[in-house]
Amino acid sequence: MSFIIHVNNTPIEAKEGEILLDVLRRNGIKIPTLCYMPGFTPSGACRLCVVEMEGKRDLITSCSYPAEEDMVIKTNSHRVMKAKKSLVEMLLSNHPDDCLYCERNGNCELQWLAEEMNIKERKYFSEKKTDKRDHSSPSVYRDPAKCILCNRCVRVCEEVQLVTAIEFISRGNKTTVNSAFNKGLNISSCINCGQCIMVCPTGALVDISHIEKVQSALTGSKKYPVALVSPAFVASITEQLNLKPSDKPAGLITAALHKIGFKKVFDLGFSSDINVKLEAMLLKERAEKKIKKPVFSSCCPAWIKYAEEFIPEMISDISIAKSPQQILGHLVKNHNNVTPDDPDRQLYTVSFMACVANKFEASREENTHKGISEIDATLTVREFNKMLRSFGINILRLAPEKFDLPFNSGSNAGLKMSYSGGKAEAVALELNNIINDTKSNIKFTPPKNPGSKKEVKVQIGKQEFGFAWVSGIAEAQKYFDELKAANRTDIHYVEVMACQGGCAGGGGQPIHWSYEKPRQRKKSAQDLEKNIKIHSPSQNTMMEEHLLKFFSSGDDLKTLHTRFKKREVLK
Amino acid sequence: MDSKLTSIFARFPNKQRDDLIPMLHEIQDKYGFLSEDLIVEAGKYLNISVNKIYGVATFYDNFRFGPRGKFHIRLCHGTACHVAGSSNILSEIEKQLKISNGETDKYGLFSLEIVSCIGACGLAPLIEINDEYHANLTLDSLKNILNHYRENHNTIYEDQ
Repeated sequence: MSFIIHVNNTPIEAKEGEILLDVLRRNGIKIPTLCYMPGFTPSGACRLCVVEMEGKRDLITSCSYPAEEDMVIKTNSHRVMKAKKSLVEMLLSNHPDDCLYCERNGNCELQWLAEEMNIKERKYFSEKKTDKRDHSSPSVYRDPAKCILCNRCVRVCEEVQLVTAIEFISRGNKTTVNSAFNKGLNISSCINCGQCIMVCPTGALVDISHIEKVQSALTGSKKYPVALVSPAFVASITEQLNLKPSDKPAGLITAALHKIGFKKVFDLGFSSDINVKLEAMLLKERAEKKIKKPVFSSCCPAWIKYAEEFIPEMISDISIAKSPQQILGHLVKNHNNVTPDDPDRQLYTVSFMACVANKFEASREENTHKGISEIDATLTVREFNKMLRSFGINILRLAPEKFDLPFNSGSNAGLKMSYSGGKAEAVALELNNIINDTKSNIKFTPPKNPGSKKEVKVQIGKQEFGFAWVSGIAEAQKYFDELKAANRTDIHYVEVMACQGGCAGGGGQPIHWSYEKPRQRKKSAQDLEKNIKIHSPSQNTMMEEHLLKFFSSGDDLKTLHTRFKKREVLK
Repeated sequence: MDSKLTSIFARFPNKQRDDLIPMLHEIQDKYGFLSEDLIVEAGKYLNISVNKIYGVATFYDNFRFGPRGKFHIRLCHGTACHVAGSSNILSEIEKQLKISNGETDKYGLFSLEIVSCIGACGLAPLIEINDEYHANLTLDSLKNILNHYRENHNTIYEDQ
């Protein structure tokens, strides 16, 4: 049922049960917020969404007030504007004001509001927060002084990721967002997904930056820098710059990286193919052994950490294949695939990902080989953008270049892995290629209805295989519980991504808070897929040749496998 | 489950979220404060994340995360005591014992807690040390009291 409400002397339509803020925003009325997140329980913490309602003595928070028939609302009255300005001034009263040194300078919601509301000087003075900064995590850096207690990160961590690594500690003006016993993120249950970074309105939560170390490797005389570019990263840049597949986004990125000073630029799509192939082979092996339980994908390092901490009993069912980042890092660093032209220089691998958990993954003990780490640094899309600016490179004006040999070709499986549901499809297609042959086709049609179960059953060979995919730990855990409760044996493969929407919504993407962006990146990835001629890992002859080399010596294949173990953390 | 807290857990068979605060009270009554291990145990039992419990517990002044001193000083900071000069008493205690609200001195002898009102306004300003009230304090009498506890801490503690 819909009815009319009156806003700033204009009648607008609202539906029953709708939140006032949603109605106002749908009609293009600007209401600033710092704590509101669509789809989450309203918190009313920042109070910036206040409006004046006729018949109410106090201002009301539109983010937590349902629309009512014939309500009369003013959003721009003197009283409302004054209240909002005061609210921002109070938020600024203990802010460190070090915008020049802040990661989020120019991209900070608090800064925007201060500018919009014409705040020229500090009006209120209060004690600065003295809580320690937290450098302990390999992925996430916390500066409590910049925190405005909007609780977006706390809600994402608890409601979407079920981790509760950060929480409100203490009360009143002493409140901080902190990890358990104020002990640092490294021993907390944090899974390094970086979703808290994505929702933080200020610079209180940012990633651990690898730019400095990459730049010193680029300019120094001891390293031979090699870039590994993930397909999800390419899809993200494509979406960000509104490129078409005909612009050859991967080629532009390669050209930019060559220009920045990387000696070689490789395609992580190559190792995505290996990863997909290894998982398809594992699936075939399990089907032959008639193992009823599903196998879970292993390419998402945040999901892996979650499993190690919270559901260690599931570790034995997680695929043992290394993630694409680690596979290619391993291939580059070992087996003499790449030799620096100058013998004094050491290989230095830098991966370009849409993820901050990859920074953590590279530091895992299993991901070193004979004491040498496979990946030396990981840069996110944000860091790449920053580097482009600092080098003064306009990516649109470059001529596309090709990835360097020998890791220059990837099938479209890599791009599929950049969004939720894609990897399940890629593994299904590859399994068909292994069991039948590379020419046969199967249909993998995901359910259209967004509410339905994300499952697809396909007949491959003599057996019907069930593929499922989940993204966001809350959704994943719910699905695991259902699988267990129903004792299902018809699902053989479950793709798990820790971030909602998969890597398209990853913690290393440009800062945004919308459900729209991940969808657009997925669309970009799907557009790019169509232009790739290699349709499955099995058709990737270059990759097949490499794998054959491994198969011929059984020991070596094991280096593409990894292991996980139960992790004791404060949880 | 084998745990130090089994006897306490037995009183909360439903394992509900609402059990958290009463359970924390019982743990604190038994062990004097909420240690990290005990919070982890309670979290495992109730299936609530440790950080959540820590957040709840730090919200309330009543919960402590370190051991109390042998002598726990509760200083009344209610209106009547405030008017009668409890702020001076507080700064004197802080100066003498080198501890502030919620802390325990390094000898484990004294700990300090500021409370809103003890309910003895006629005797303001006053402090309570291990259930013994010391009323109508002046800076001099406070010094004497603290010295008394300090010098005779062994005998006093045993008597109690």
